[in-house]
Amino acid sequence: MALIETASLTKDYGAVKALDRLDLQVESGIIGLVGANGAGKSTLIKILLGLIPPTAGRASVLGLDVVEQAPEIRKFVGYMPEHDCLPPDVSATEFVTHMARISGLPRSAARERTAEVLRHVGLYEERYRQIGGYSTGMKQRVKLAQALAHDPKLLLLDEPTNGLDPTGRDEMLDLIKRTGTDFGISVVVASHLLGEIEQVCTFLLAIDAGHLLKAAPISTFTQRTPVVAVEVEEGADRLTAALISRGFKATQEEQCVLLALEDEALYDAVRDTVADLGLPLVRVQQERRRLEDIFREAPPVAGGVQ
Amino acid sequence: MSATNPVAAGKPSGSIYDLGYRHYEGKRRGRLFAAWSLYVDSLRGIWGFGRPMSAKAAPFIIAGLYSFFAVIQLAFSSVISQSIKNGTATDIFTYGNYFSRLGFFLILFCVAQAPEVVCRDQRYQVLPLYFTRAMRRVDYALARLASLSTALFVALMVPMVALFVGDVLMGADAFAAMGTELPRALPAIPANLLTALSMASISLALSSYSPRRAYSAIGLLAYFLLMEAVPAIIYSVGQQAGWTWADKLVLTTPITSLGGATNWFFGIPLTSEFPSTLGADAYLVACVASVCLFTAVLLFRYRRISA
Repeated sequence: MALIETASLTKDYGAVKALDRLDLQVESGIIGLVGANGAGKSTLIKILLGLIPPTAGRASVLGLDVVEQAPEIRKFVGYMPEHDCLPPDVSATEFVTHMARISGLPRSAARERTAEVLRHVGLYEERYRQIGGYSTGMKQRVKLAQALAHDPKLLLLDEPTNGLDPTGRDEMLDLIKRTGTDFGISVVVASHLLGEIEQVCTFLLAIDAGHLLKAAPISTFTQRTPVVAVEVEEGADRLTAALISRGFKATQEEQCVLLALEDEALYDAVRDTVADLGLPLVRVQQERRRLEDIFREAPPVAGGVQ
Repeated sequence: MSATNPVAAGKPSGSIYDLGYRHYEGKRRGRLFAAWSLYVDSLRGIWGFGRPMSAKAAPFIIAGLYSFFAVIQLAFSSVISQSIKNGTATDIFTYGNYFSRLGFFLILFCVAQAPEVVCRDQRYQVLPLYFTRAMRRVDYALARLASLSTALFVALMVPMVALFVGDVLMGADAFAAMGTELPRALPAIPANLLTALSMASISLALSSYSPRRAYSAIGLLAYFLLMEAVPAIIYSVGQQAGWTWADKLVLTTPITSLGGATNWFFGIPLTSEFPSTLGADAYLVACVASVCLFTAVLLFRYRRISA
């Protein structure tokens, strides 16, 4: 049984097509859902939750239809929204217990689960304090905890690292990874940062303007050659020419020279060439591949775009 | 970033009894249980239980003020009972007229607490969390309505109980007095139930249209005061101008018509404050219609609200 399946799923917001005949079939695991802001990630998640109805097409989660069997789906799905969703005047314990009860857990079970998930997300003594006084990182943890409270089979996380500092971001990603691997819960993580998705996901869905760009295991993405950027204050054109003549694949982009990192000798060659030409070097950096690169390079998968 | 960092992994280093993640195998209840949980939580919230002390101030002070007069009458009942028996004095407050005279306090109660019930979830965007759980939008709205109705019913019944206790203690034989008092007091239950439902449905239907607590409160206060005053003014002008339709407008007032409906339950004649052309049953019908209308408005709001 596929975890998530959609067929010609379309969502129209008047003039804007948020999703355009999207066909998906995803198995369990940690699924990264990447796309720029406004690509349709949140719309897809909300349709899967039954919060908004699709304009056309079908979608199913855990083999259940999102329109007809939404109440059944909701028993087994946890949702962490992108926006703030916590009232400030209650404690994390009270709030998560309340949400667990709304999910159908009896009182004592709800209390027990709350203590457990708050410990898992890393909230200890502060869980008795009012949420209004929490840092952004702690609030994100509470948001994740409330989604986990009823032990769902599938977690839908919308931009879980929003507003977090680098440490908080890494901790959140680690939590997500543990949720997917140790807890055995399937996770869909929506994000506009490919770097994050790469760290934790096993499968990647890239969407852009409501179309599916690519759906593949993460390994097929990481196999591609990384890129080194060499930035100089002047003479980028001369550097490019010199490096090409040495047999490297170099392209110029304003003051940067982009090189395919095929072996480590590249760094020595760059050092020597820059020294020979006497160019003022600014930085040599292995580039994080940006989302746009995938979008530029990846040909649309078969069946993704009609 | 490191997957092996124990702090990042949410386990304090040195913890020896981490059982790891355990799945929940127990019972999962459905919609009714979810709605009941929300009802209980909401009712606690209205009275400020489980919230800071400041949240308890408004409901308890207002409900206390509403009951205050009955308690005063209870306190002095022994003093004045003799003169009541002699027929030289009558009770100022009775089961039937208590709400008509002091209903203003309950308007304040609604203005203070109804936005608390429905604006918080909109303001802090908690609604999506409810609507992605075992609960439907209708369940949410009805659970909230039931909780405010219950809170109002409690506030309405406290002075009734005080009056009842006072009247029973006044008699020489408490048991005999209870026997005669009880039939007189019982209509207070359906009358106050209708009052609670009517005020709660109006308050929540109107408050739910703004996520901002202050706007909701001001709008609600304006509605109650204007809907009391404007029909009354038109009616009194109409009496002189000879407008025969103006008396019907009194049926649209929230508090006056509830007073009329209360009279129907107690079977007591309407006072001169009410237009003589309408019977108490007209007010009863108007109040029931108002409950239906505003409940429908509330449900409509939650059917459409985006989450």
